[in-house]
Amino acid sequence: MRKKNIRKRSSRFGLFRIVILAGFLLTLALIFLVSTLGSQKFGPLHKLVLEAVGPLQKVVTIASSYIGGFKSEYLDILQDTLRLREENKRLVQQLQENEAILNKSREALATNASLRKLLEFKNGLAQPVIAATIIGKDPSAWFRSVIINQGSNSGIMKGNPVVNSDGVVGQIFTISPNYSKVLLAIAPSSAIDVLLQKSRVRGILKGTGTLTYRLEYILKTAEVEEGDHVVTAGYGGMFPTGLPVGVVSKVIKKPRGMFHEIEVSPAVDYQKLENLLIIEQQNFTELKQMERP
Amino acid sequence: MIVVNFIFVGLLLVIMQTTVCMPSPVWLLAPDCYYVLVAYLAYRLDLLRSLIVLFPLVCMLDVLSGTVLGMYAILCFSGYFLLRLISGKLPVNESLYQIPLVGSSYLVVSWGVYLFLRFFEPGELISWSWWRMIVRALLVTVLTYPLFYLFDLVLKYSHRSFFPWNRLRLRTDNRRRRQD
Repeated sequence: MRKKNIRKRSSRFGLFRIVILAGFLLTLALIFLVSTLGSQKFGPLHKLVLEAVGPLQKVVTIASSYIGGFKSEYLDILQDTLRLREENKRLVQQLQENEAILNKSREALATNASLRKLLEFKNGLAQPVIAATIIGKDPSAWFRSVIINQGSNSGIMKGNPVVNSDGVVGQIFTISPNYSKVLLAIAPSSAIDVLLQKSRVRGILKGTGTLTYRLEYILKTAEVEEGDHVVTAGYGGMFPTGLPVGVVSKVIKKPRGMFHEIEVSPAVDYQKLENLLIIEQQNFTELKQMERP
Repeated sequence: MIVVNFIFVGLLLVIMQTTVCMPSPVWLLAPDCYYVLVAYLAYRLDLLRSLIVLFPLVCMLDVLSGTVLGMYAILCFSGYFLLRLISGKLPVNESLYQIPLVGSSYLVVSWGVYLFLRFFEPGELISWSWWRMIVRALLVTVLTYPLFYLFDLVLKYSHRSFFPWNRLRLRTDNRRRRQD
């Protein structure tokens, strides 16, 4: 009983103390608030608070900047790497697409230039011509011919000259309704009537199978020099006159024999043959009829 | 089906050789794959089927290549019979010996045909060049193994039939008795 009374008394006293303290603090706060609101002066208490809180703020700021630095150095890089990787992939794909378009444009430009040159050459010729494309090449080691995609249905006949913008390519050798075989001028069985442009000396141009011609039956009395242009003579009505054939590259003057040995470099680049023109000879049919016995 | 398939293969080889494998008319490294087919026919197929395959092949070659008709006929048939004769007489049938035989027979047959044509059609051919023909023979030798493998696949595929003719064929006798 006595212990219970003692406890009751002590709890009441404790509560009283708490109320007194709270009241005191509240009063102080009110006084502080009123004085501050009234004067608006940064007083000693404020300075004390600032001095106490300042270091803490400093520590936290340093720590957060350190953490921010760590994040930007290591964690953000990961994100950036992933993002950059995606963008890189996208850009590489775009670059590849653009390169493909560029290549197509370049090809179109080159084809355009080549066809324009061929068209200018065609317009310069007096005879009608038929354009053709090479679709196959002779793979044998002993012959030189190509297959083109035009035949007798287009008006082509055997023996028609075949040229391109650079000069003489060959002659039509065999024909079918839609395709023809062209015997190239570099074939050994090819023989074209030509003349030297400067001296007007006539000879026969024969193929050797390689990328040079051989000009035969030029007498030693004729003046021939390296660099002389060789053109078609036009005799026999097979080839029109004046078509470029090549340039004299070598003149071998032997002590014996009546004729020069002359090598001619072709005007045409046989390694880049693509589009050809077949010259329609108007009087070809008449010539063929005259040749028949 | 075997004949049809090999005719188709021959056609494909000729077209590839005259288009894709010839970037220019003076290209040196043109592989004569048709000759490997000729060699394969000599080694693997019987005479009748081989001849039926060879005829359209030589016709195509004569049309698309060369200016002397019949040249490829002489070349292909000579090569075929030569290889058939040698392979029959040869005591060893290993692939190791067959491969160089194809290349060397190509060289020998080409030289023989060249001499023949030079005699009958002078001025039509480019002069013989040993190093060019040796390069071509080497190409044929190198291509022999992969092309033989391909032709074996074609032959294997040709033996399969889409329609089970064997099963559809009616037998008049008792199959069990025959097996006994």
